[in-house]
Parts: sequence; C-alpha cells; structure tokens
Amino acid sequence: MTRRDFDERDIHMALDGELPQEERAGFHAWLDANPEMKARSQRFEADRSRLRETFAGVLDEPVPDSLAGAVTGEAKKSSVAAPRWRMAAAAVLLLAIGAGGGYLAGMAGLGLEGQAEDQLAEEAIAAHTVYAAEQRHAVEVGANDRDHLLGWLSNRLGLTLIAPDLSAEGFELVGGRLLPAGQTTAAHLLYEDAKGNRISIYVTPEGKGKAKGVYKDEKGTASAVYWLDDGWGCAVVGTLPRDQMLDIGRNAYRQLLAGAGMT
Amino acid sequence: MDERRTAILAEIPRLRRYARALLRDRDSADDLVQDCLERALAHMDNWRTGESPRRWLFTIMHHLFVDQTRRTKRRAEVVMLTLDDSEALSSPADQAESIASREIMDALQAISPDRRAALVIVGIEGFSYAEAATMLGIPAGTLMSRVARGREELRGLLDDVARRRAIRVVER
Repeated sequence: MTRRDFDERDIHMALDGELPQEERAGFHAWLDANPEMKARSQRFEADRSRLRETFAGVLDEPVPDSLAGAVTGEAKKSSVAAPRWRMAAAAVLLLAIGAGGGYLAGMAGLGLEGQAEDQLAEEAIAAHTVYAAEQRHAVEVGANDRDHLLGWLSNRLGLTLIAPDLSAEGFELVGGRLLPAGQTTAAHLLYEDAKGNRISIYVTPEGKGKAKGVYKDEKGTASAVYWLDDGWGCAVVGTLPRDQMLDIGRNAYRQLLAGAGMT
Repeated sequence: MDERRTAILAEIPRLRRYARALLRDRDSADDLVQDCLERALAHMDNWRTGESPRRWLFTIMHHLFVDQTRRTKRRAEVVMLTLDDSEALSSPADQAESIASREIMDALQAISPDRRAALVIVGIEGFSYAEAATMLGIPAGTLMSRVARGREELRGLLDDVARRRAIRVVER
C-alpha cells in the first residue's frame, strides 16, 4: 500500500477510474478514516448513477429516420428546414439587432417579426421592476381578498383569471393590480417566497401571432418567460436563475390556461 | 453501404445521448446530432482508418456545441430561447420523467456548458480523462478540474433543491 496524502481530487479520480491500481487500497483506507470525505464520495457516486440512469433510456429509443437517413443518404438534406437550435440562435441575433436600433420594424415585412412578444415581455418586466420593489404599495388588492381580486381582474380582462398555485416552488401570492397595456389592460399578480424573492405574472387579453420564449432585459437582471397567442399573452417575470424561471413559468402557464378554460 | 457508414450509423444512439445530456430538449439535441452527422459525412477524409468513429464523431459534435454556446453568449444582452412544443398549451410536459430525473436534468442544464460537457463525457459516456481532454481540445488538468467543479456544482444545486423541499414540508 502506498503512503501518500489523499485529497478531494482523488475522490473524483477514483470515481472516474483514474486512480492507479496501487493507490486504491490506500485511498479506501483514507476514506474510512475520513467519514466526511467518504460521505462526499458516496454522494458523487450516487449522483453519477442517477445521471446515467436518467439518460440510459436514450440508447434504447429508435433512431429517427431523419438521422439514419443522413448517414445512409436516403433522407433529404436537412438544409431545407434549418435546425431548430440554429433557428434559436438566429432569433437571438434578431432580437439583439432589435434592441440595438429598432431595425425590427423594418424587417417585419420580411417575415422576421418579433415585436409583439418583445413588447409583451418588456411591459411585463417594467411592471415587475416597478412593483416588485415596492414594500407597502406593491399590490392594489392583497391576497387576503383573493376572490375579489381575481373576480375584478377577470371582469376587466374579459377572461377567467386564476392565481396559479406556486407553493411547490415556494411562492405565495402577495396580491395583484390592474395595469394599462397599450390599448387594453393587463393583470399583474405578485408572488413572494420565504426569502423575499418576488416574481410577477403578467396577463393581457391582447395578443397577435403565436410565440413563446425567454426574454432577458438589457441589464440582464430580470427575465420574462412568455407565451403569446391570439387574444392572449402571458409572461412570468423574475430575477431567479433561468432554469428556475422556466420551471415556474411553465407551471404557472399551465395553470392559467386550465383556469381560463383554454386547454 | 460501405463499412464506414455502417460504423457511423452504429454510433447514433450514443451521440443522441450525449446531445440530450448537453441540451436536454429532445428536438434540439437531435438537430445537433443531425448537424454532426452531416459534417462528418462531408469530411469523411478526416477520419483516420483504424480510429474509433466514436471519438471522431464526439469531437465533431462537441465543437458544434461549443460554437453554438459561444454564439449565444456573445449576444447575452438579449437571450431568447424557444421552449419545446411539449411545454406549450395543454400537454403536461415531461410526464415520463420522474421527479428525480427532472431535478438532475435541470441541475445539469444550470451548470456552465464547459463543465457540463466535461462531466457528461466522463461521467455518463465513460471516456477516460485523456480521451476526453483530446476530444474537448483542452489539457488533461483543465479537463479534470472541470469534471470536479461540475460534479460539485451539480451536487450543490441538488442540495438546494432538497433544502427548498424540506423548507416547504416544515412550513405546512
């Protein structure tokens, strides 16, 4: 058995099969003598198993014809329809240009629209920025008067508005208010978690075209996960990490649609 | 069909798994694989005979992934992502995924692309540090530290999720 000092690096090396054979016995003795390190090693090992299990099923999925065809030459080249991930990159470029100079308006005729969702996301972010910062006047009607709040906003918007239950994400309704939005109105619902993080749900009965995505404001602090459809726009805004925003956004959106009877 | 095409065909499931772990979204992942295959077929001469097609293909795909993330990063002032169709409207997404799988996929997406790639290529795909470093085009030491950091970051994120869940349970 070799005598050398082991450290956290060795935990990773051992896990990845990179620890030389002759050092393994010494490493395991070190783990036994350091329960904290041993626990750490076990957690990493469990995470790796979980990762492998999570993606193992992909190997059993039938290979899509388009992929097999790309190799056998039997399928048409995919260049006709640009891959989605490339389209997403193009959309990013487009929005960046729009933010830079408002060229977007001129490009609308070319079928490169993007304004309606930008506007929705920007209005939602603006509402969030203004009201989430307020302590005493964050909402017009508080969550203690929930039925009144939702009844009032539903009437003004002309759709059935519910307040999505976001308790699974740790967020509770603070309250809401009515806002002007272009020619129409929008509802703003404010939520807060135990740490004081706030998120906004912004719903408007006006919408053109179909779009969905994530919009980050120029400062990069708040982001809006939005869905736009004919006669319906919804954005969930906050400053949480992207993936968390996506999860909350999807959850809220699903509930809003169900509540409005649109599913 | 020639032998080389047959060998490439056999690697598709592995490529799809790597792409899925990198991007999570199934369609985007398959698009990445498609791009990789097209590029591979166009540059078949770069594939040295005798060399494993797996390493060659993974290298190509990794570079496409890096290009993609770089492009996105440069335009960081406005970020737009398309959500996949299964997330829209009434179809509840990810029904087939268990909560544990979802959590770990979310956590994996939250770590930086560099670390994610290193962690996936070693931890899921099972390449050695030396092989992975060659494929990713980085020194072995850098690869090692990305794997270690990635793994620690992933664990930290999962701990956060567990903690949040615990807080919720206590609250009720």
